[in-house]
Amino acid sequence: MANLFPKSINTLPIKIIVAIVFIVAAITAGVTYYFTPEYTRIGYAPTQPVAFSHALHVDQLGMDCRYCHTHVDRAAHANIPPSNTCMSCHSLVKVDSPALAPVRASYESGNPIPWVRVHAAPDYVYFNHAAHVNRGISCVECHGQVNQMEVVYHAKSLSMAFCLECHRNPEQYIRPLEAVYDLNWERPTEPEAVAELETFVHDWKVNPPQSCSGCHR
Amino acid sequence: MNDTTETPLLQPASSRDGSRYWKSLEDLAETPAFQEWMQREFPAGASEIEGVNRRHFLKIMAASFGLAGLGLSGCRRPEKTILAFGNQAEMMIPGNPVFYTSSQPSAKDNIPLVVETHQARPTKIEGNPSYTPYRGATDLFAQASVLDMYDPDRSTHSRNRSGRVDMAAVRDQLNTIRRKHRDDRGRGLVLLVEGSTSPSRSRILRKLKAQLPEALCAEYEPLSHYGAETAFAAITDTALRPLPQFDAAKRIVAIDSDFLQTGPGKLGFANAFAKGRKVYHAEDADRMSRLYSVESNLTLTGSMADHRLRLGSAQMSAFASLLAAEVLRQSGLNAEALAAVQALQTNLEIDPDWLSACAADLLEHRGASLVVAGDHLPAEVHCLCYLINAAIGANGSTIRYAQVEKPSASIRDVVTRLQSGRVETLFILGGNPAYDAPADLDWSNAVKQAGQTLHLSYYRNETSLQCDWHIARSHYLESWGDGRTYDGTVVPVQPMIDPIFRTFNELEVLARLAGESETDPYAITRATFDAMTDGTDAAFHRFLSNGLLADSAFATENAPLTIAELLIQLSGANVSSPEFSADSLELIFAASQNTYDGRYANNGWLQECPEPITKFTWDNAILISPRLARELESASGVQITPDRSMMVEAGRLTQQTATFQRGRQHAPIAELTVNGRTIKAPVHIVPGLANYSIVAPLGFGRKAAGRVGNGVGFDAYPLRTTSTPYIATGATLKLTSERVQLANAQEHWSMEGRAIVREGNVEEWKQEPDFANNMGMESHSPPVYGKAQNESVQYKVTNQPRGGSAHEHPRFTDPLPNVPIWNRPGAKEQFRAPQQWGMVIDMNACTGCNACVVACQSENNIPIVGRDQVMRGREMHWIRLDRYFTGDVNDDNDIPEDVQVSFMGVACQHCENAPCETVCPVNATVHDEQGLNVMAYNRCVGTRYCANNCPYKVRRFNFFDWNKRNINEVYKGPLGRVDEPELGKMQKNPNVTVRMRGVMEKCTYCVQRIETAKHDQKRIAGASGNVGVPDGRILTACQQVCPTEAIVFGDLSDANTKVSKLRESDRDYSLLGYLNVRPRTTYLARIRNPNKRIPRTYKMPFTRASYKARQPKPLNR
Repeated sequence: MANLFPKSINTLPIKIIVAIVFIVAAITAGVTYYFTPEYTRIGYAPTQPVAFSHALHVDQLGMDCRYCHTHVDRAAHANIPPSNTCMSCHSLVKVDSPALAPVRASYESGNPIPWVRVHAAPDYVYFNHAAHVNRGISCVECHGQVNQMEVVYHAKSLSMAFCLECHRNPEQYIRPLEAVYDLNWERPTEPEAVAELETFVHDWKVNPPQSCSGCHR
Repeated sequence: MNDTTETPLLQPASSRDGSRYWKSLEDLAETPAFQEWMQREFPAGASEIEGVNRRHFLKIMAASFGLAGLGLSGCRRPEKTILAFGNQAEMMIPGNPVFYTSSQPSAKDNIPLVVETHQARPTKIEGNPSYTPYRGATDLFAQASVLDMYDPDRSTHSRNRSGRVDMAAVRDQLNTIRRKHRDDRGRGLVLLVEGSTSPSRSRILRKLKAQLPEALCAEYEPLSHYGAETAFAAITDTALRPLPQFDAAKRIVAIDSDFLQTGPGKLGFANAFAKGRKVYHAEDADRMSRLYSVESNLTLTGSMADHRLRLGSAQMSAFASLLAAEVLRQSGLNAEALAAVQALQTNLEIDPDWLSACAADLLEHRGASLVVAGDHLPAEVHCLCYLINAAIGANGSTIRYAQVEKPSASIRDVVTRLQSGRVETLFILGGNPAYDAPADLDWSNAVKQAGQTLHLSYYRNETSLQCDWHIARSHYLESWGDGRTYDGTVVPVQPMIDPIFRTFNELEVLARLAGESETDPYAITRATFDAMTDGTDAAFHRFLSNGLLADSAFATENAPLTIAELLIQLSGANVSSPEFSADSLELIFAASQNTYDGRYANNGWLQECPEPITKFTWDNAILISPRLARELESASGVQITPDRSMMVEAGRLTQQTATFQRGRQHAPIAELTVNGRTIKAPVHIVPGLANYSIVAPLGFGRKAAGRVGNGVGFDAYPLRTTSTPYIATGATLKLTSERVQLANAQEHWSMEGRAIVREGNVEEWKQEPDFANNMGMESHSPPVYGKAQNESVQYKVTNQPRGGSAHEHPRFTDPLPNVPIWNRPGAKEQFRAPQQWGMVIDMNACTGCNACVVACQSENNIPIVGRDQVMRGREMHWIRLDRYFTGDVNDDNDIPEDVQVSFMGVACQHCENAPCETVCPVNATVHDEQGLNVMAYNRCVGTRYCANNCPYKVRRFNFFDWNKRNINEVYKGPLGRVDEPELGKMQKNPNVTVRMRGVMEKCTYCVQRIETAKHDQKRIAGASGNVGVPDGRILTACQQVCPTEAIVFGDLSDANTKVSKLRESDRDYSLLGYLNVRPRTTYLARIRNPNKRIPRTYKMPFTRASYKARQPKPLNR
């Protein structure tokens, strides 16, 4: 009777074990590397109830961030504007646009528009917008070029490593206060200008916290 | 819940809690009530694991099943929405709290408040600092009142006998009543209201009386404070309210008066009293005030006293006459008064040397001394007190008198009219007479005589269940109104939120009864205000903005009474002293520190806050003196006092009864009989009580309080009658062989170590100014600072000298090494070191009032754990108030009868060399560059090593999901039902993480307040280097609430801050400092100021005397 199994089958169990080890290691490494905010969050661009275009309003019309996000320099939260902010223009402009129907409905009924949250810090993270924008950190550092976005998407990872990168090297992100809301501002490269940015860190006593209490309480 | 002969048990049919409550109490109807209570007190461990022992837990509404778990979002990122306003509300900035002024209504003293609201929901109550006498302090009841607003058991709708009714039906009913009684001029109408200071309410009530002149309007407060006012009203026909100025007094005698903790005006009194106790350097020691306290119960005032004389409350008239005679004799000014007082024969015998030394001390400080008497004492005490104050020059200098309204008709008049059968409508506004009316009035039967009964009430309580109509009432944080503080300053009651449920404001109800055209409470309040002022909008807005109307306090008089008037009143007064013995005891009815008179019974924060002296949570007991305990023991054979072997160290008591087993108290039950009525209740020994005085704390044993308060403790009201409202004599106590387990926290979190509390007397302090640092192990093993031993506090906190340590300590003056920009050449010189936070707690000012404990709970989202878990030692309070007794032990066998009491608030000490940090395997607890010992909850894996290694025992572990799971099913872990009532969630502080199961937590120095202040400062600084938070900008929750400003917090790296200056005090010492953990919280040793001329005056406090006695040889340093 011929052998049912060739001799090479003897090593099969060990091969399987080795293969499993490799596969598990690969999955672990993959999850560790790819299941981070860098990969899971960036690019998140949910469909909003109203197709609001930052590119149109900010880049083309030249509106300031704070026209709508009124409390960003006064509060921890950068507020989403209430519907009456939209209506201050849209009661005159595009008054009958079907795209704006939810805004008009909200304005009249007082019920909120369910904007979908794009950037979310975990509940145990207490981020303060006012402390950043008043000290030379621009919106663009965390939110990307929102002024060019047709649909807002998650541009940066907002992971803890991302935060610490800036907290350790503030001179690479700080800018003059007048440029904070200018999302097209370009970081100068000539040495004198860089040195001036670095003096901001020293003169303003910018010493960002790196310990837990800075963000977690 | 007690086996009383007087109180009928409520029938199950009248339950308000639905099946849950009555399912548990089914067997109550079959078995004697007390047996049922017993079973509850002995929860068998097994049954708890099965989750069936549910009664004594906080049971909260299972309102939100749908929110259970993580949902089915799976791997996809859950989509969240942001709901901005359709139309932006004014002044509301998402994430920024808004603060409104208001005040907490009470019978005689509205506490001015500033309420923190987040998105229009009140979350935290603070005092209003604009009202300078209270300096922004509040008491524990005001702190906890915000929780009442979110109580799932509160009444959400009105009802009548046929069921729920809507608001329109209630208004119709009010109009019907009005129409009916307009015809009989109010003859058939009786109103019973609770005490109030509201000018609007009294205005509406006056109108109502004018319209319905024959209606009876009576006021009832179970614990009224009318003693002095009625005593003086009998003389001059106007009620006079004494307003003592404790800050002006150098010598104070308190006659059975707990002015620091109970009674109206206490916040101002405590603050003013503490001013006289705050001396920081030995050379100023003589500036300290001296307090003599004569009392029966051991109160917080007695605990603060330099001399405490134990006498029965019924003996206070006799004592006052002796003191008055002695003062008049020594002053020699008014022979006529002396003769009149001496003519009052008294049989009380107290040490004449004590009396003469005390009187001499008062007279030596003429114009700066003061005598106050408790409001529960009879009229002659107040008259004698006035006489003494006149003789020592107090009237006009340390005490003034304000004219106030006379108390109106009482509950007795109501019952009389009810019994006459002429009452068609009985309208009870607030209060709970079915529970707390004097027993001899037989309220429950009297109510049946009324044609119809209505009750306006926040809870559907015992009284509501008896009434035909229950009208749901709004919380004061939902109501417009006004009120007055104790000195008469007008303060607003401002709503923070529209009524959450369909509830009524008292003003609206009264206005409808009075037939007012204006029934809107806001308009009523405004109209009252306009009548007091020029009525402009600006004035009203200023009133709301400041939270008070300036210069609206009562006018005061210096000496409104003449001596002759007083002597007429006093002639023939009975000042004889009853003879007390174990067979004829004096029973004192006292306000509870947990529930006050029972109104806060359903408040979990208060129920779980350990009572300052007894440390009871979720319980009360009859308090007895050690001598009485001995005599009861020998009479009954039941052992209640400790074995000799259980006494430790010379005189320091750690175990009070023989019945403490692993921290649980198994107290014997006694039968208490007075006035022919008997109740059964556990007894608890309190050293320091007058020998034959026993104390029954009121406010427990509620039957329809709600799921938190039902059946907690025993009810003492059935013993209370109209003639013996506060003091009943002739009581007897008989021990039974039954025992009951009580949730007593007094042994929890006990620390190991020497000289934890450090105290000195003025005289020895002057001789040895730094005695506080020469006690304990520090005397020969001080913290190891190496060469930096003599450097300043500022140097030590920023440079962290390593002392003898093998490790290099991080220096906070240097930038972190991983920040290149600050490590460049020349950069370090420009570096601004972070501020270094620290705290100082002044034990000379701390009165042990517990306000900090509740304030911390409110600010930091600290859960309550329920009675059973407290008995297991799992309470979560971040700050605890350790109460230590010390006593002069004459006989080693016995418990000291005279004790000194010391309070010490202990929270995380934020050690610079924190032992907890070195043992954490996951770096969940680490130090930050501001010197804070921080907890990163999301890193914590719950090993509890840190708690094991903490010498102060201040770390608290979340054994269960207190915040999330149904409290009956905590043992099921994640499988337990999710039970987070929406209402309860609204109270949570959004700036503090709500911790979950398996996580360690502890005091953070209110890091959310520190960070908020720093963020604000950064916003202000903008493009400048002005990033330091100014001193005083950050107030921790415990500091803010403290009536005596005993807690001071601030930046230790700046020598000019208040906290740094206190660190320079002679009295400053570190708790367990020899461990070299270098705590950032330090204590100021307590100084007592006894009178050397008083016999048996000790050269040093008992603690220090016993400490010295234990030393092998005198310290030569």
